[in-house]
Amino acid sequence: MSPLRGWSSVASGFVFFPSLFFGSAGVTSTTFSALHFFVRIPLQPGLPIHTAMIKTNNLRKSFQGRQVVRGLSFEAPDGAITGLLGANGAGKTTTLRMICGVLQADSGYVTVDEAMDSIDRQHSVGALLDHIGLYSRLTVRENLAYFGRLRGMRPESLDQRINSVISVLGLEAIADRRTAGFSQGERMRTALGRALLHSPKNFVLDEPTNGLDIPTIRSLRELLRKLRDVGTCVVFSSHVLDEVRALCDRVSVIAKGTIVAQGSPEELCSLAGTDSLEDAFIELTCPAEVC
Amino acid sequence: MNQILTIARKEIVDGLRDSRSVAASLAYALMGPVVVGLVSMTVHGKKDSEAVLTGMMAIFTLVSAFVGGMNVAMDTVAGERERKSLLPLLMNAVPRANVVLGKWLAVSFFAMGGLVINVLGFLVVCESAGMHVTASSRELFLGACGLFTLPFLASAIQLCISTISRGVKEAQTYLSLVTFVPMGMGMFLVFCPAAARTWCRFLPLVGQQLQFEALMNGSGVSFLQPVVLGYLTLALAALVLLVAANRLQRDEIIYGN
Repeated sequence: MSPLRGWSSVASGFVFFPSLFFGSAGVTSTTFSALHFFVRIPLQPGLPIHTAMIKTNNLRKSFQGRQVVRGLSFEAPDGAITGLLGANGAGKTTTLRMICGVLQADSGYVTVDEAMDSIDRQHSVGALLDHIGLYSRLTVRENLAYFGRLRGMRPESLDQRINSVISVLGLEAIADRRTAGFSQGERMRTALGRALLHSPKNFVLDEPTNGLDIPTIRSLRELLRKLRDVGTCVVFSSHVLDEVRALCDRVSVIAKGTIVAQGSPEELCSLAGTDSLEDAFIELTCPAEVC
Repeated sequence: MNQILTIARKEIVDGLRDSRSVAASLAYALMGPVVVGLVSMTVHGKKDSEAVLTGMMAIFTLVSAFVGGMNVAMDTVAGERERKSLLPLLMNAVPRANVVLGKWLAVSFFAMGGLVINVLGFLVVCESAGMHVTASSRELFLGACGLFTLPFLASAIQLCISTISRGVKEAQTYLSLVTFVPMGMGMFLVFCPAAARTWCRFLPLVGQQLQFEALMNGSGVSFLQPVVLGYLTLALAALVLLVAANRLQRDEIIYGN
């Protein structure tokens, strides 16, 4: 349980404090209170603690008669990084897209901060799915401003937020350049800025390190840890075991569209009776009689 | 409403920055006046020359309403799917009907621009060819009410087709074919004017052509016809937009690629 929960937007503290991303500053409630005061984001003391959480219950989804997600249930708590670990085609991307409200489940439901309606869920989720998709004829700043306006951010605070996001993600040098011709890392950082602009309480990423160089991967991991530390619910999918082990507090192993095991990496090893996460993953998703 | 205007504004800015697309739309819009200008020099003084020129102008005008926003319509949905920017857009708490309406307004802006440039070009041609529009200012206003609803319908149709298409190339193929509809319809009515019945005056597209010709040859425009025609055209556009919005709800939009 994070003592920071219940604020209007904890991640905004991160967004307005560059050293959290590149430096090693500690996170204290005093620091964040000061930040909230500085950026004039109203606190919501009445918001109950522990409300922000992603839950899926018995989700099912088929495409053209093929069942992709079969009764998938899992919970991602606040202040933790939850990994969805699964092989290609296991249903990770479809699950994340349902959480983000771009796909509707055939049955079952998703709640984000207790909201079930897809538009309501989208208000409190920032997402970086497999489609980065920037507008190449717009600059970084214009790309961010567009999504900020769509999110209903007020013009007076939007500019300030954009400047902060640009600063936090180290985009100053390219902020006024059109995004055509950007490197993968620059595109990824711009897309991250877009996802974090509205200070989401929940952050969803789909295989975020694909195609990134090592420094960018390291920065991204740092970012996710800092978001986790301020109480954000982080969910990301991956099939890279090292990444999952390095980042995740909890892992939900998904195979053939359903959750086959959940727990910390150590708990999964213990459950499968193996020494390594790789062996545990194989054991849990592909039993010996099948593989 | 804010979301709709935000999307429309972004699409217009984005579209205007695509200089090749703007140049192509401008060329399409001015093609009619240039061609009719050249023909007017050839047929000058011959019998029925004005009828020929009026028929040509009507066809080019209808086509210009369709080509002005064609590139933007292609780019704004099919292009977004191809560039994988549609999914991030749909994750931003924007109802899909708002996405369709915003994009439709932007496409209509370009289509209207093409039509206005085309009509202005024809006014210059008429002036230089010695053709005089005898319609009263009231008739011209009523005629404009009917005619200038056409870009809204054309944009809705193009946007709907773009929503169905999986990529820009596919959209381009279908939208190019759609351009032949006003062209073919226009040519048919020019060569077979007797085929136009009274009810045709209230039919979107055909009605606009007949109205344009009536304005040019001075046969008069009633109050009822352009008003009803305008309403019917906008109603049809709304219907097509509903189809597009419905299409945007489908899973194929996300998985189509």
